[in-house]
Amino acid sequence: MLEARGVSLQYFDQGRPVFACQGIDLAIQPGEFLGILGPSGSGKSSLLYLLSGLKVPTDGRVTYRGQPISDWDDDARSRLRLSDFGFVFQQPYLLGYLSARENVLVAQPESGHPDHADHLLAELGLAEKRHRLPHELSGGERQRVCVARALYGSPKVVFADEPTAALDHRNGVGVVELLNQLRGDGSLVMVTHDPSMLADATRVVRLIDGHLESG
Amino acid sequence: MIESAEPRPLPAKAPARSANPLAATTFLRRNLGKSLPLTLVIVMAVMLVAGIIAMINSIPLSIRTIYGYSQEMTGVTPRGDARMTEPILTEISERSPVPIERVVKCRITTTVIQSIVGKWPFYVIGLNPDDMAYYLERQGSRGITGRLPEPGLAEAVISEPVARNLGLKLGDSLLGPNKDDAFSPQEVKVVGIAKTDRWLMLAPIGYLQENHFPPIDLGMVFAANRADQDKLDRWADKHFEGRRAGILAYHQIEKNTNEMFGTLYQILNVVIGTLVVVITFMMSLLINIYQSQRLVEFGLLQALGYTKRRILTRVIAETVLVVVLGWALGLVAAYGLLNVAKTTLMDPRAYSLNTLDPIAYAYTVPLPLAILVVAALTVTHRFRRLDPIAIVERRIV
Repeated sequence: MLEARGVSLQYFDQGRPVFACQGIDLAIQPGEFLGILGPSGSGKSSLLYLLSGLKVPTDGRVTYRGQPISDWDDDARSRLRLSDFGFVFQQPYLLGYLSARENVLVAQPESGHPDHADHLLAELGLAEKRHRLPHELSGGERQRVCVARALYGSPKVVFADEPTAALDHRNGVGVVELLNQLRGDGSLVMVTHDPSMLADATRVVRLIDGHLESG
Repeated sequence: MIESAEPRPLPAKAPARSANPLAATTFLRRNLGKSLPLTLVIVMAVMLVAGIIAMINSIPLSIRTIYGYSQEMTGVTPRGDARMTEPILTEISERSPVPIERVVKCRITTTVIQSIVGKWPFYVIGLNPDDMAYYLERQGSRGITGRLPEPGLAEAVISEPVARNLGLKLGDSLLGPNKDDAFSPQEVKVVGIAKTDRWLMLAPIGYLQENHFPPIDLGMVFAANRADQDKLDRWADKHFEGRRAGILAYHQIEKNTNEMFGTLYQILNVVIGTLVVVITFMMSLLINIYQSQRLVEFGLLQALGYTKRRILTRVIAETVLVVVLGWALGLVAAYGLLNVAKTTLMDPRAYSLNTLDPIAYAYTVPLPLAILVVAALTVTHRFRRLDPIAIVERRIV
């Protein structure tokens, strides 16, 4: 469904070429929970950005359902992200002037069904707090709102970039379990440096210095 | 597992929220601390611009109002030969391009009225009783409080605006021996106040002939209506050019007023232009600061899949709302302020002020337009450099 072929991401640090990722071949199957494990600075997040179309590779190609999304322009990749992908970032970014429920609706402002947002928030234990503003929620609650936002509209692929980084271990495990439980038929691609977060992963790959090692 | 993550039933009653959380009004309504200052700056700027222009415009408007009586007649004065009045009036009567309704001989003496910029000259016209009645009717008088002056006596009838302007009531002196600006050897008492908006001071011609210089008869020629009067004015102006006759016509007042204020309006244009630039610059700084504070929001939305164009359209729609709202409220506030100024400052002295002056309000139009253009350019420039990854990675927040 989502495939990276010979994907590299090169940037220059004070004139010196540096590879965030190099020659990555990776395929994500429908419904799969793929864990990408690696130490800090190994290129995990860069790979996630390449797979989700947030960045374009300097070499190689990313395809989604056979379409070369890495060749698409910025607007086309944005539209794909909004329609087919969901995201959970390291920090629980929410729009401060919107309620928890409205923050979820942001993921699919036109096509989404508000009842689904309420259902997700209820599943995530936030039914009573869905009309609260982000500053009225704890860090763990905010990240759960982010999870609901990522899952709202039933995306085909959910990308989670160290979603437990800002949480304690107990809350982190809980967030990952919820992501896995509630993603339905969608795939989940999660990068983390913590192997314990990937206990339920269908498959785990390791990234070391921008190179992929099978795990 | 998170304890609070257990599925729970929804509360029975939920407060209503907007269907589209990213509607252009949502941010503005929920961030009044940001949107209100922007709106208020525009409101005050619009109020300032409209107020200044309307107040400045009140000066030429006052001139046109105070001397508006001359729209109803063509004034004639002899030049160099006091005996010329009769021949000039005869020539006008015989050769006028429009029908003449009445020809009146009169005397005048000068006095002053108060204007927003100081004392202005005004004329007490001496007329016989029949001519005075005709003249008052012609100037739209709906009646008189008191009575008309008795022939030959030191009495006067004035109109309501003159009474307000000079603070005169029945029995007060209009002219007198102790008034430097309004001298007459006897106290000329106000015996009547004409109910008309025109500015008028009338006295018996006999009194002026006996007591005031110059001892020269002047003439007033009345056409049937205002359109014919204007034709007569222009014809007489041209016909007697270079001859021993002076023509006093309303269009000359218009022309002189426009020339007098031409330079002032040029200066005013520079002042208002500078004001628009300053306000626009200030607004662009404010908008820039506020948008900078929202970079995380924009970056997050872009990361989630919102196109730059879509985010930009929303931000510009928000700006349009603020600017248009500020402008509209500014117009209303300016109208209110001008009405207060008119009621408290202008009306008591019968000064003219048009609270619906279209030029004053038209002068405010460049303000919202300039702010919109600069805001759109500022925001577009910011968006060009926006990197959503830098934001979600917290490299810039």
